[in-house]
Amino acid sequence: MSDVTATIRDVLEAHGRMPVSVSTLSDDDDLYESGLSSHASVNVMLALEDSFDIEFPDSLLRKGTFQTISAIRGALESMGVTSAPE
Amino acid sequence: MPVQLGGARYPKDSDESWCAVRVLVGTDVQPIDEVAASIREFGPRYTHRLFTDHELESCGENPITAASGLAARFAAKEAVLKILESPDSVPSWRSIEVRRGAGGRPELALDLETASRARRQGITHMSVSLSHGGGVATATVVAQVSRWRSARR
Repeated sequence: MSDVTATIRDVLEAHGRMPVSVSTLSDDDDLYESGLSSHASVNVMLALEDSFDIEFPDSLLRKGTFQTISAIRGALESMGVTSAPE
Repeated sequence: MPVQLGGARYPKDSDESWCAVRVLVGTDVQPIDEVAASIREFGPRYTHRLFTDHELESCGENPITAASGLAARFAAKEAVLKILESPDSVPSWRSIEVRRGAGGRPELALDLETASRARRQGITHMSVSLSHGGGVATATVVAQVSRWRSARR
């Protein structure tokens, strides 16, 4: 597991308000089907911004960006994030 | 003659063309305390990502009443998203605005891209109703879909 993925999982655990432990989910499990609400996904986005010192562009402010852990990682990579924060 | 909803034809007995009318309904609930917690934790970064300036002004400065109003507006945006077909991408939250209409009645406004998406679905009108109580806010959106059909083949 990459450090970026580990940070995403930590943020999901802290801000996702999910009914299941994030550790039980694969990178490709549908987070919404696993209990992530649209509103909680906003908190996840803002917490990721704090963790990686980035800002999601408007083009990524969509539900699909937070569909899976892999999708989140892809969005972060599209913003130049390749490693976990120091 | 009034338009008959629920997939009815109008005019009912026309041999030329007719309008197929149906309605789509979307509804959503949002816990108010979750919105209040997000406002406390993320402040304007949170509110400005989800809500338009008009929506923020409509809900006022008081964080308690603002949270219930904003929770209802978030529920309205989600209710609209449940109605819109989104094969490729989902519209952003700020592309859907709850406006305060005449007499304080809420109305929906969509940005150009989202409005075009709605028109492609045949949606000609949307109405929204907001409510909050017992710690949750709720919104229901009804969309009228009208498509003119020709009897001639």
